Amino acid sequence: MPDDLNWAIGGEAGDGIDSTGKIFAQALSRAGRHVFTSKDFASRIRGGYTAYKVRTGAEPVESVVDRLDILIALTERTIEENMDELHEGSFIIYDDERSTMRDVEIPDEMIGLPVPLKRLAEEAGGAIMRNVVALGAACEVAGFPIENLDEALEKRFGSKGQAIVENNETAARLGREYVEEEFDYDYPYELICTDEDYVLLNGDQAIGMGAIAAGCRFYAGYPITPATEVMEYLTGRIEQFGGTVVQAEDELAAINLALGGARAGARSMTATSGPGIDLMTETFGLVATSETPLVIVDVMRSGPSTGMPTKQEQGDLNMLLHGGHGEVPRFVLAPTTVAECFHKTIEAFNLAEKYQIPVYLTSDLSLAVTEQTYPPEEFDMDEVEVERGKVVDEESIADWQNENEQFQPHFPTADGVSPRAFPGTSGGAHMTTGLEHDALGRRTEDPEVRVEQVDKRDRKVDTARERENFDYREFGNPEADTLVISWGSNEGAMTEALTLLEDDGYDVRFISVPYIFPRPDLSEEIDASETTIVVECNANGPFADLIEHDTLTRVERINKYTGVRFKADELAAEVKDVLAETGEVAQ
Amino acid sequence: MSAFSAIGEEEEIESEDFTPGTEPQPTWCPGCGDFGVLKALKQAMPEVGRSPEETLLVTGIGCSGKLSSYFESYGYHSIHGRSLPVARAAKLANPELEVIAAGGDGDGYGIGGNHFIHTARENHDMTYIVFNNEIFGLTKGQTSPTSPKGHKSKTQPHGSAKSPLRPLSLSLAAGSSYVARTAAVNPNQAKEIITEAIEHDGFAHVDFLTQCPTWNKDAKHYVPYTDVQDSDEYDFDVTDRREAGQMMYEVESKLYEGEVLTGRFYRDDPRPSYSEEKQAIGEMPDQPVAEQYFDEDHQWDRSYDELLDLHK
Ligand SMILES: Cc1ncc(C[n+]2csc(CCOP(=O)(O)OP(=O)(O)O)c2C)c(N)n1
Ligand code: SF4
Ligand SMILES: [Mg+2]
Repeated sequence: MPDDLNWAIGGEAGDGIDSTGKIFAQALSRAGRHVFTSKDFASRIRGGYTAYKVRTGAEPVESVVDRLDILIALTERTIEENMDELHEGSFIIYDDERSTMRDVEIPDEMIGLPVPLKRLAEEAGGAIMRNVVALGAACEVAGFPIENLDEALEKRFGSKGQAIVENNETAARLGREYVEEEFDYDYPYELICTDEDYVLLNGDQAIGMGAIAAGCRFYAGYPITPATEVMEYLTGRIEQFGGTVVQAEDELAAINLALGGARAGARSMTATSGPGIDLMTETFGLVATSETPLVIVDVMRSGPSTGMPTKQEQGDLNMLLHGGHGEVPRFVLAPTTVAECFHKTIEAFNLAEKYQIPVYLTSDLSLAVTEQTYPPEEFDMDEVEVERGKVVDEESIADWQNENEQFQPHFPTADGVSPRAFPGTSGGAHMTTGLEHDALGRRTEDPEVRVEQVDKRDRKVDTARERENFDYREFGNPEADTLVISWGSNEGAMTEALTLLEDDGYDVRFISVPYIFPRPDLSEEIDASETTIVVECNANGPFADLIEHDTLTRVERINKYTGVRFKADELAAEVKDVLAETGEVAQ
Repeated sequence: MSAFSAIGEEEEIESEDFTPGTEPQPTWCPGCGDFGVLKALKQAMPEVGRSPEETLLVTGIGCSGKLSSYFESYGYHSIHGRSLPVARAAKLANPELEVIAAGGDGDGYGIGGNHFIHTARENHDMTYIVFNNEIFGLTKGQTSPTSPKGHKSKTQPHGSAKSPLRPLSLSLAAGSSYVARTAAVNPNQAKEIITEAIEHDGFAHVDFLTQCPTWNKDAKHYVPYTDVQDSDEYDFDVTDRREAGQMMYEVESKLYEGEVLTGRFYRDDPRPSYSEEKQAIGEMPDQPVAEQYFDEDHQWDRSYDELLDLHK
């Protein structure tokens, strides 16, 4: 019996799709099953349609696939929208008593399960519970014991009182019993429960949690999809740890606020998406040249301009690497999974403070909306080390004063990193400026000092390369002739594509790169392979350009810019296509 | 280790403490009104009893922005129009600092206008000094948001077609809890007003008339001046919004008729600051954010388990 199940609920915005989907995802997670969720927002046809999809397995699941086994369709359009993913034997649960659903035609090869969702919900206490009736019906089809829903229902409705919780439990059971009694199909699914105790979170939440764990206590932001949830996560939580969140008037203010918090001594962060990065680019240069540690999160969405705000894309890479006039180093990190959003956020703070540099942390829409299960140990916050770098106090400050007892915030040290004194430190009074400055932070146009300061700032990158391990994550067969490289969120789909490729006799090595700058040198890896393919979710392949530039080697490219993330089966097929074109044979 | 050893230290504070070793002499043009701001600020600091090391001065870009080079303190010379968000966040992160922001009329009322409105609205506990010379000084004399209608410049050779912005009225409408105007030609009043502004708990906005003899007006244009508090002709209650608003409107209009009115126009002492408001609803910790990092008793790992539990 297949244990890997793809489930979805779809309808109109306002139908409670998200919260119903979330209840199911939570129930699965609580039952010790792995979960990977995704969302469909607006539409190929017209606005309004939305769906919440859950993939679940007893083993970890890392991506979405082009397959839908059980669909709760609140509207006819939900079926149309998912026609590509529905297959022979897919079950479609719908309310045939709903006026708009009466004439729905279920394609022959699929199995329609008409359930009077509204009527049963009313029986349980109110029509509003019709989605929960559907959940109960789906439990029966999925072979998922209904009791597992109870805890999630309690969590969702507990604040509304015990009676409401009980009504919902009843509603779910009525749905399940209806399917059991009315239909006589052989349901091929049985979702095994385990004793595992998982946590369920998405990329934005993981970034927020990482920030708190890293000691970030000052956050400023301006809402924008798909980054808003970072701010919403921190609000109400960071305060419990002694921090604060500020909503700014715009992104210009947001980054300047974060900068002000950092100058005053707090670990500070802002998060936005591409349009916000456009505005923040102005202040980015000031942050960098005044050598202020700052973490700037870009949860990418499809651009340019307002673009496709609820669609996936990795189109901001060049902006993050090169945005802003003049030349000044910055670090760019791109977490590759939801869990890595947590770990890389922590690393971003340490890098920012150790090297007194702005760090761009870039995730994307697909990470932001994906909820995924992990064992809680994955997020071990006691393990986190907060490294604040060369912060000086009233005693150590003397080491950094000149002969006139003036503190030198931009002293050109051998490693490029200067001392840092927060306002309020005795003996540390100093200014600094976005103008080119000397060691004292005073403006200068002296050619020698200019060169000295530019070199000093650039030297921090060399130092970081020596001291840090800007490595990649590796999967598949390290000896394989075919090398696939990707960055950011494509890792999950690609690791799963590896399995599919393996099954078909393809031998592939996969390198997933979380460090965009500084980044690992892949020359040897590319030399050792026959074919190198760079996979990224954009049209022009900026990361492939970087790799070609670094290694002076041409690479093959797989790009997707439909606004939808890669899926494992699709990616496997594309890799095969490339290999067929380049004349590489299987095995 | 405490990083903030200078805060609250008992010491004699003198004006001269605020003269930096490196650039003791400003390079503003002779006769520039900006000298008047520097002097008033240096004189105010001993009055308010804050030392250079307890003070953060954030400036914008313009001739005015150079203030941070000539004033010894922690200084951050930011970019054009952005001094306010930097300054107010520093105050939020470490409320024990004395935070002052300063910049030009172009910087604060033009490119940074949105920040001005929102900083006033939020009533951050800080002081904002706008060097209002009714011109872009640094970039050599272009029209600014406060240039009078008809004012001729290289960018508006036929005279400005726009009516000038009303900085005091805007400030009041936006939510400043202390609004005053002073002038470089009136050093005693300037010192008093800057002192009051720094002492005020809330967002104190001082529109400081600073003549620019090089590109715009010489000092004579701001003489004679009238202090509305000293004059029998003006009688209004600075704590009354409506009366203050009317007074401001008159003051702004008269400036363009050649009559210079200065003084305090509005104050709302009871109004809580942004951090007080946030504290009241549990959005701001009592202990300064920046200090926690140096507090050995601070419990970093306090409730991480609770954070995780929320995801179960
Ligand atoms: C983003 C940006 N645009 C334009 C400038 C050029 N610029 C520098 S100062 C200034 C105006 C200065 O006028 P004001 O703020 O009134 O200051 P003042 O020099 O009169 O004291 C301008 C336009 C700049 N530095 N940055
Ligand atoms: S140009 Fe005007 S504002 Fe600038 S320093 Fe000279 S007199 Fe002062
Ligand atoms: Mg000006």
